[in-house]
Amino acid sequence: MKVGFIGLGVMGRPMALHLQRAGHELFVWARRQASTEGLPATVCATPAELGRACEVVFTVITSSTDVETVTLGADGLIEGMAPGSVLIDCSTIAPESARRIAARLGEKGIDMLDAPVSGGAQGAIDATLAIMAGGEAAVLERVRPLLDCLGKRIVHVGPNGAGQVAKACNQMIMVAAIEAAAEAMRLAAASGVDCAKVRQALAGGSAASRVLDVMGERMVSRDFSAGIEARLHHKDFGLVLEAARRSGVPMPLTAVVGQQLNALMAQGWGRDDTASLLRVLEAQ
Amino acid sequence: MKIAFLGLGIMGRPMALNLIKGGHAVTVWARRAESMQPLIEAGAKAAASPADAASGQELVISMVADAPDVAEVMRGVAAGAQPGLVAVDMSTIATAAARRIGEDLAAAGVDFLDAPVSGGEVGAIAGTLSIMAGGSEAAFARARPAFECMGKNVVHVGASGAGQVTKAANQIVTGMGVLAVAEAYAFAAKNGVDCAKVREALLGGFAYSKILENHGQRMLDRNFKPGFKSWMHEKDLNIVMQTAHELGLCLPGSAATAQMFNAMVGSGLGEEDSIAVLKLLERLSGQA
Repeated sequence: MKVGFIGLGVMGRPMALHLQRAGHELFVWARRQASTEGLPATVCATPAELGRACEVVFTVITSSTDVETVTLGADGLIEGMAPGSVLIDCSTIAPESARRIAARLGEKGIDMLDAPVSGGAQGAIDATLAIMAGGEAAVLERVRPLLDCLGKRIVHVGPNGAGQVAKACNQMIMVAAIEAAAEAMRLAAASGVDCAKVRQALAGGSAASRVLDVMGERMVSRDFSAGIEARLHHKDFGLVLEAARRSGVPMPLTAVVGQQLNALMAQGWGRDDTASLLRVLEAQ
Repeated sequence: MKIAFLGLGIMGRPMALNLIKGGHAVTVWARRAESMQPLIEAGAKAAASPADAASGQELVISMVADAPDVAEVMRGVAAGAQPGLVAVDMSTIATAAARRIGEDLAAAGVDFLDAPVSGGEVGAIAGTLSIMAGGSEAAFARARPAFECMGKNVVHVGASGAGQVTKAANQIVTGMGVLAVAEAYAFAAKNGVDCAKVREALLGGFAYSKILENHGQRMLDRNFKPGFKSWMHEKDLNIVMQTAHELGLCLPGSAATAQMFNAMVGSGLGEEDSIAVLKLLERLSGQA
């Protein structure tokens, strides 16, 4: 199949390569030409040109605004993609943005799935991402073989926007768990107890979690180099709290965790791992 | 002075009336024509649009709900204005939005002040509002006589946007203040102690505040009629939280407070006064 890929960062690049290795013909576009170097792919001049060449297009981009520009803007995908082709947006953006993009593409007969992912760079490399899809079930079935190249758990959550809502829920739980792990490590250290032993002890009990495994280990070994850049979690918390506001739903814990992320950004650790929430506690 | 007043809601109406009482020649405009009637009866002229209202004035004042409303009204003002006009927005909006509107008006030769207020409906009626202004010294001097008809504590805080920054700071203090008084009452009540006596005792000490005095009394009376609607307080706290997010600023108390106001709006208390946060606390602890 002819597959387009836009957004060739730490997530997008390994994802694109998986599709190519599975035998699909790869087309790419990037704002910075350098990002496309070394890829076994046809480099396109604009998103529109890429859209014209492909049956399915993936996007993995940081902000709602950038996704809207690439899809709906001048020389955007909407100007090139044919009716019946599918856009799969794996970015994490606001649910309303996803719905707006789907509606505009729908007017031209182009199908769209919001399909944000969880699992980080390692999950992208190992092709073990969790993929949460919003859109029509029939569209998901058409592109499921492609998604199978990228992830293990692919769930159809509901109509357009539902994938992004699920991703927001994912981020709330994950970052709150990182904050909980950081506070536990901080308490242990302040009480003169070995953090590594505490983490080891907890791993066998009811507090065991993936976050305690992965982020807890980074805290114990004080390795704050990025698995996931904290600035991205900070961005996502902006989306989550805005969604809470629109729904009139109180999220007291999420709100406080969001403030710890603000403090993390102020300390200049946005490009480090979110395990740096431990360092925010130590700075106080 | 010839003054146009745009936006005649719960705050704008009494503010415009005080300008008329102060001897100014006032022209009014409001989206709903019936809102203009009481002002016309008090001697104001009615205008057909913001542009029409701005024409031939020395000063234009807007008092509307949110940034898009201010921007729209001020586009009209720019269209109808003569060079040298001073435009004042007294609504509460984001600092960045106020600065942008100021720049747009400057391009049309209009000098702009952001001058949000604190004091609620009571302060607007009594002409005792606190007015916190941002913009040029010259524009502030021009607008000052009008401000003095509407408020008591009139402060020129700094350059464009400084008024809105001050108002955001005000909303942090009042938002947490109302919640603090409500929590103290919930605490006293659950412990079987008379809230009225608690208030009376606290008023003499370091917990004294205007909010304990005024809002605290209304909570005792269970008078939830707005004053200041909780959805508007929620909107203002959201401006604070968005700005904190953009700046990388840790405001844990404001964040918790904003979620309480969020819950008020979501559970149908948005049209009641901010003090209805007491009802929310009572529900949460099964005291309702």
